[in-house]
Amino acid sequence: MPLDTSTYNLALLRVDGRRWNELRRVHAQIRTQAAADGSSYLEMGHTKVMCVVTGPSEPGPRRGTGGGGAGGGGAAAGAGAKAEVVVSIVIAGFSSVDRKRHGRGDKRTLELQSTVANALAASLHTHLFPHSQVNISLHVLSQDGSLLAALINAATLACVDAGIPMTDYVAACTAGSTSTYAANDEGADPLLDLNHQEEQELPGLTVATLGESDRVVVLVCESRVQVSRLEGMLAVGVDGCKQVREILDRVVREKGRRMVQEGTVEKGIGLNEMDVD
Amino acid sequence: MPITILAPRPSRPIRADPEDNVSSASDTDSEAGGVELDGDLPMTTRPSKRARLTTSTASDIVTPGELITDDPQWMRGHGTYVTPATTAIISSVAGTITRTNKLLSVRPLRARYTPEVGDLVVGRIVEVQAKRWRVDVGSTQLASLPLSAINLPGGILRKRTETDELQIRTFFAEGDLLVAEVQQLFADGGAVLHTRSLKYGKLRNGVFVAVSGTGGGGGVVRSRRQVWTMDAANGGGQIDVVLGVNGYVWISKHVETAEADGNSKAAGITNMEENVSTTMYSSQNDRIEVETMREIARLRGVVTALVENGLRVDEDMVMRGYHEAVEMAMVSAGGPDDIYLGGEMGQQLAAALKGT
Repeated sequence: MPLDTSTYNLALLRVDGRRWNELRRVHAQIRTQAAADGSSYLEMGHTKVMCVVTGPSEPGPRRGTGGGGAGGGGAAAGAGAKAEVVVSIVIAGFSSVDRKRHGRGDKRTLELQSTVANALAASLHTHLFPHSQVNISLHVLSQDGSLLAALINAATLACVDAGIPMTDYVAACTAGSTSTYAANDEGADPLLDLNHQEEQELPGLTVATLGESDRVVVLVCESRVQVSRLEGMLAVGVDGCKQVREILDRVVREKGRRMVQEGTVEKGIGLNEMDVD
Repeated sequence: MPITILAPRPSRPIRADPEDNVSSASDTDSEAGGVELDGDLPMTTRPSKRARLTTSTASDIVTPGELITDDPQWMRGHGTYVTPATTAIISSVAGTITRTNKLLSVRPLRARYTPEVGDLVVGRIVEVQAKRWRVDVGSTQLASLPLSAINLPGGILRKRTETDELQIRTFFAEGDLLVAEVQQLFADGGAVLHTRSLKYGKLRNGVFVAVSGTGGGGGVVRSRRQVWTMDAANGGGQIDVVLGVNGYVWISKHVETAEADGNSKAAGITNMEENVSTTMYSSQNDRIEVETMREIARLRGVVTALVENGLRVDEDMVMRGYHEAVEMAMVSAGGPDDIYLGGEMGQQLAAALKGT
């Protein structure tokens, strides 16, 4: 179904009623699976992703969670001085509007796997865990655009839950532009957080940054767009990533605060007391 | 009539203060009828301000990437990192700050077990190699148990021979459970175990429970006593409980050994010899009465209920929980046979333990 992008100019509202700079509702939970080392569940609008992290643990034919994953080097797996990050993504057949079977060797899935693996390997302190492997398995339950961003965010949360040291959160979101490539509209506004409909119609990119800094760790653009519009899109995307980081951070803090209250974790020293002496 | 667009309402009521900000911001936005592309948006700056506030007041939790201090007098410990050319110590995990003199470290909310010398662990044999076993102790790497670090049948002072190497599977085979102590650590974090004591060795006559998420303070904690024998209620006899520091728990029927006898000292090594050879590496369970099995299952229920409800697992909590569970079973419809401690029963148990 073609999306009538001309209406944007009238009300400055997008098809789902958002303004150009608004994220969709992001809802996240951590520690959703008690038996896993780390787990998370993330919704960005109607894109719903579940993540389970196993490890760091010794790789082996018996102990692996099974299934092929990206980044796996076969025989030499986990032999190095750094932990290896292995991502496997399962896209449920019922996740999108048209029911599709995604095989294991699906090229698109493989690319998503290696993108997520490389993004997280850049942030995780893998040198602390030699001869081991971090297994990240992601399940896509529902897709409505910004899939890669949701996968990265869910994987980050699960790694935080698993207690794997990392430089900072890897927060991701998408950005687009209000008019198509063909329209060649120089004055097009950038858009934040594309949904499926917009993603089909408009140029867009996925960007992930490292924490509050402006350091971009992932930048994926699969559509044609004038280079003059790219800067605006990137700026909006980086800005969105910071918002996403705050949301993820709040989820982790809330969980931590509850654990301290319940007495599962001993209270630490406050930051203020420390600075006194 | 002009069309008005109502500001979206959150499904969950949030605190009054941020709610006000949101609605006022969106009001001004819609009045202007447009958005400035270059303007700095209030939405992006506000949450960060709020986050700062919570760090200093409400909770002591730090999250990855958060600056702990930039004072150069502090040293960084586990769970932190320092960026090159600065003195700022930044947290790398989500957890609570601990301070040991001038050393700052962050204890993660939950992490894999990190072995330390002297830890009592319960493990499972994963792999048998020529001169050692590889043991899963829930750590980031498999621990190793050398053939030279176990009590060989025929006396602990016996020398290891090639025959022993050839029949290594008669001592421990894949899948066997054992209790051991961490003897030594490698630089990369790998552990070497030993079972050179009659307290340690192969486990049988019981049930294994894995309590995940240890090392961060939850679950099993290092304490004075990790192994104890208790008298079970309802005619269950005596039960041994082993709380491995790695979060693996073993609950089994207590079996009298020669070691417990008073006269074993006099007999010395000869007595131990027999003991080792007959029972140490047997994989055959003894006869266990139904009552004992039931109480073992109840204890297991207590441990899982403690974990599910975020309580720590140590001797005191397990014993109190067990007595509470026995009383709960007495008043329930099923009588003492009611060992179910999941769901609401578990919550009830946890509430009773927190209250007292």
